[in-house]
Amino acid sequence: MSSNLHQAGVRLLRQLGRHAELIMDAYQAGSVNEGACEPSAVDKLKKAGILWRPEADQDLRLTRTVRAMLEEALSDERNRQIDANVGSALATIKTLASHYKEARSNVDHGAAEAYLADLSEHVYSFTESLAYSTRVLWGRINNEFGYVGTINAKIRENELAQSQVSELRSGLELFQFSELGEIAGDVRELRKLLVTTLQESLSRNAEELSLVQGRLLELLGRFRQIRGRTRLLKGWLLYTDLHPDYRPGDHVSHKQVPSLFNRAEALLAPAAVDVHNSQQERELMEMVARIKTISHSQVPPKRREHDVSVSLSVSEDFDIPDNPLKLAVDEYFCAVIESGKSQSALAYLAEQQLPWDSESWLYQVIGGYEGLPDEHKAYFELEPLGEPHPVYSGNFIIRDVELWLA
Amino acid sequence: MSEVMNNNPGESALVGTGVLIEQLLKGEFICRTTNEDGWRALKNAASRERVETYLNQINRTVASAAEGDVFFCGYLQLGEAERKVISSQFKDICQALIPLVEWLVLVQEASGQDAPLTEGAAVRLTELQTRIEDTPAFREQLAKLSQYRLFGSTSSNVDAQIKLVFKRLLELGYLTRPNLEKQIYIATGKLDYLYEVIRFIDETEGLSLEAQAETATQRDLL
Repeated sequence: MSSNLHQAGVRLLRQLGRHAELIMDAYQAGSVNEGACEPSAVDKLKKAGILWRPEADQDLRLTRTVRAMLEEALSDERNRQIDANVGSALATIKTLASHYKEARSNVDHGAAEAYLADLSEHVYSFTESLAYSTRVLWGRINNEFGYVGTINAKIRENELAQSQVSELRSGLELFQFSELGEIAGDVRELRKLLVTTLQESLSRNAEELSLVQGRLLELLGRFRQIRGRTRLLKGWLLYTDLHPDYRPGDHVSHKQVPSLFNRAEALLAPAAVDVHNSQQERELMEMVARIKTISHSQVPPKRREHDVSVSLSVSEDFDIPDNPLKLAVDEYFCAVIESGKSQSALAYLAEQQLPWDSESWLYQVIGGYEGLPDEHKAYFELEPLGEPHPVYSGNFIIRDVELWLA
Repeated sequence: MSEVMNNNPGESALVGTGVLIEQLLKGEFICRTTNEDGWRALKNAASRERVETYLNQINRTVASAAEGDVFFCGYLQLGEAERKVISSQFKDICQALIPLVEWLVLVQEASGQDAPLTEGAAVRLTELQTRIEDTPAFREQLAKLSQYRLFGSTSSNVDAQIKLVFKRLLELGYLTRPNLEKQIYIATGKLDYLYEVIRFIDETEGLSLEAQAETATQRDLL
């Protein structure tokens, strides 16, 4: 009997493996595209209870159990099935416990062992399914119901999750540990299963579920706020469309001004650039330097490097012709040395009837004097003749210079 | 210069508070997006008290909106002159409501978002512009809203219209642009303030805007 069951199970799993592609296609698409599959394969899967046809004119689908197995194994986030039927699980557990106790008191060891194994299986799968449910709920919370597109859908998904949580929580309240304790009596195995294992798992999950519920409510609040704002905007447009003459009432004319509208006038005006303020010049220059020019005109790219043929040859001699003004100044200096007397530069200019403009002559004389090497400069004394500027103090206007030997 | 100042932590806190008070006195809204340090300072009771004491001396106070996440400067006591200012500011914001709401709805619809813009949300101008250019209905909406006095566009070209609208929104403080080299704009807390203003008007005048929008969408679905 049990070897038959084993063989049948292996056959079923082999079939799943052999038609893995087809099954996964059906899982993702929701139904089987019969035109694209081998009819014999489809038939076999139908017989094995892997595929089924809900209605005569409907496509073939995966059966619920296969689907659930895949969803769970793949942690598919679309899975929102939660087994909240705590009541029936509890009833089963109680029944099996009674069977076990009866078999024990009848000293039927074989039956008692089978019942205990069955009971353990149920208790463990129940605790596992509880943990799984909470995990699924957290998964949905953590991606904020990302598998649906709109805010309204998210709100509906959130409401579904909330109802599942409250069902689970009210289901957990069905567990009366005093009752389970009585059923277990003084049988050690039963106490371990019914009291220790179940209680631990239940208290952990109850705690977690209340956290889940809190987060769900928080999320719902946020979704509703977002939806509320969208509706507020749409409603405003609708209303102003319907009532083109609508103006909001004067909500600030009351004695008590709503704090929302109590906004002070700007005291400080926005800053503007004062291009006449020389103290800001540096900052402005920096700003201007940071401006990037964008030129859309087609400028041919400049070639920075290009070949130049270089030939080495003897460099030609060249000389700089002396400036006649400079020569004349040299003459003036010589004349001062020869005469040994002080002489005004302008007087010399007039005397010699030189063609230069008096101002450039003065500049050249001063320049000539300043340009002398220090040892030569020491022979001469140059005194500017003129007067301070009448308005701007510190400025001295040179009318003439006098040169003599030191 | 600021580098020198920042060497001393006490002094840099002073500089920070100075900037914060300046912003408040300029009529700016302080939120996490525009001035996170200042926003934190106002969230902290002690440093808010310091700012408050300063402002009180010139008949100003720190006011807040959007569940205490946006701060601005209000009057401590209201005299005739203050009431006049408030009344003119109120008129300004009422006039801005329709263009701003139309813009918010356009951005939300053109970018296919569930949520309307709120503080901290980013708008990529180039993406938005492409979507608007590709859809005649959006182009029409943009053309209509850009001509309101708030934006004052006279152009018939989408590029010029949208650039002007965004420039004005920057000036008005509804958006910031953290990086001047990028066309990414971030919504500020002033938008959240705007929602609160609409909600206030809705509730006080009993317009039941949300219910109207809901019935309208349900009619559309049918």
